[in-house]
Amino acid sequence: MDFRRQLSTELPVLRRFSRALTGDPALADDLVQDCLERAMLKSHLYDPSRPLRAWLFTMLRNLHISGIRRNGRSNVVKTVDDLMDGEDAVAPEQEHRLAAGSVQEALERLSQQHREVIVLVGLEEMSYRDVSEILGVPVGTVMSRLSRAREQMRQMLEERGHTGLRRVK
Amino acid sequence: MTNDRNEHMDEWALHAYVDGELSREQRAEVEALLARDPEAARKVADWKRQREVLKSAFDGVLDEPVPPQLSTALRPRAARPRTSPWLAMAAAILLLLCGGLAGWFLKGEAPVTVADLGQQALEAHSVFAVEVRHPVEVKGDDREHLQAWLSKRVGTAFAVPDLTEEGYSLLGGRLLAASNGPAAMLMYEDKQGQRLSVLLATPGTDVETALKVEEQGKLIACTWQDGKLAVAVAGEMARDPMMVLAKAVYEKIEG
Repeated sequence: MDFRRQLSTELPVLRRFSRALTGDPALADDLVQDCLERAMLKSHLYDPSRPLRAWLFTMLRNLHISGIRRNGRSNVVKTVDDLMDGEDAVAPEQEHRLAAGSVQEALERLSQQHREVIVLVGLEEMSYRDVSEILGVPVGTVMSRLSRAREQMRQMLEERGHTGLRRVK
Repeated sequence: MTNDRNEHMDEWALHAYVDGELSREQRAEVEALLARDPEAARKVADWKRQREVLKSAFDGVLDEPVPPQLSTALRPRAARPRTSPWLAMAAAILLLLCGGLAGWFLKGEAPVTVADLGQQALEAHSVFAVEVRHPVEVKGDDREHLQAWLSKRVGTAFAVPDLTEEGYSLLGGRLLAASNGPAAMLMYEDKQGQRLSVLLATPGTDVETALKVEEQGKLIACTWQDGKLAVAVAGEMARDPMMVLAKAVYEKIEG
């Protein structure tokens, strides 16, 4: 299949990943656009024996991280530990996002490392091995980050009385 | 109380269970554990719900219409308004060349000949064949588009020759400004990375010429005109293999 067609097949999932990673629809689509342009430029570096999705996720994630470094722009306002300290950790520009749903809010409060792991495993259903390759860390590190991220999520969602958590299917 | 290490391993097994990372036997073991350990069962249920909550928060994105700037980003590069510095450079070189040729033509008012195309093919080959990453504007995997686009711009329908049998795969093509209008350049590469370029133009005459060979340093170009289409094949190789390739192009290029 033509490479561009393969890319367009992955587009919806790439947008979902980007949205969950950044929490900001406009920023998320900017990232996806950068990622697509880079993917077409570097298509000769893509190894067809590996899943295209993992390759795109790696690229998008790296673009996101270098964007954070460049702009000093990060959605991580406070970690869960800060929340536990009792201080109101809600930064003014974050307030409007709280309404968007406490899941997004909880995600945004996770550190970048924890958020990306929980998004890749829990939302995108990537295998631990793929996640380890995407993030460039050993599988053991993926698992310990995942474990911490899930515990923090649990605490946050419980504290905010997230209805979704209690809504058992 | 279990020791720390075991607790750690158990917890990881629970995560792996939730994430579908376990074999059938391992799954059965974890399920047995869940049946007798309510704390473990609570954790697993919790993490499963986290997955559901994440999906319900973000799955909506999958059904959203794709924003136009993203579909645009997926279009072939040539369809987007963007000036390639390489194309600009090639155009400049060819314009210089045209200037020289024009001066010469004005003197004798000779029509453009296949020899000119051969010279241009050599120039263009030396500019683009060394480009490792962007030798072409439109990639060869979009053959139909390439063929339609270049045929249209050159003004004569032609088939993009398949040189697989000769050991060359198509990298793609680009449009160039030749001395008397647009010229299409096709670029091929063999397994050793040796490049071959094919330049096509319509000089405005309708003739049939013999094959003409031009050499310049290590480069060699083979040119001919068959009807309206003038063709030049250029590369860095000896005369014999070039003749074989030129013959193959000649046979396969007729649209």
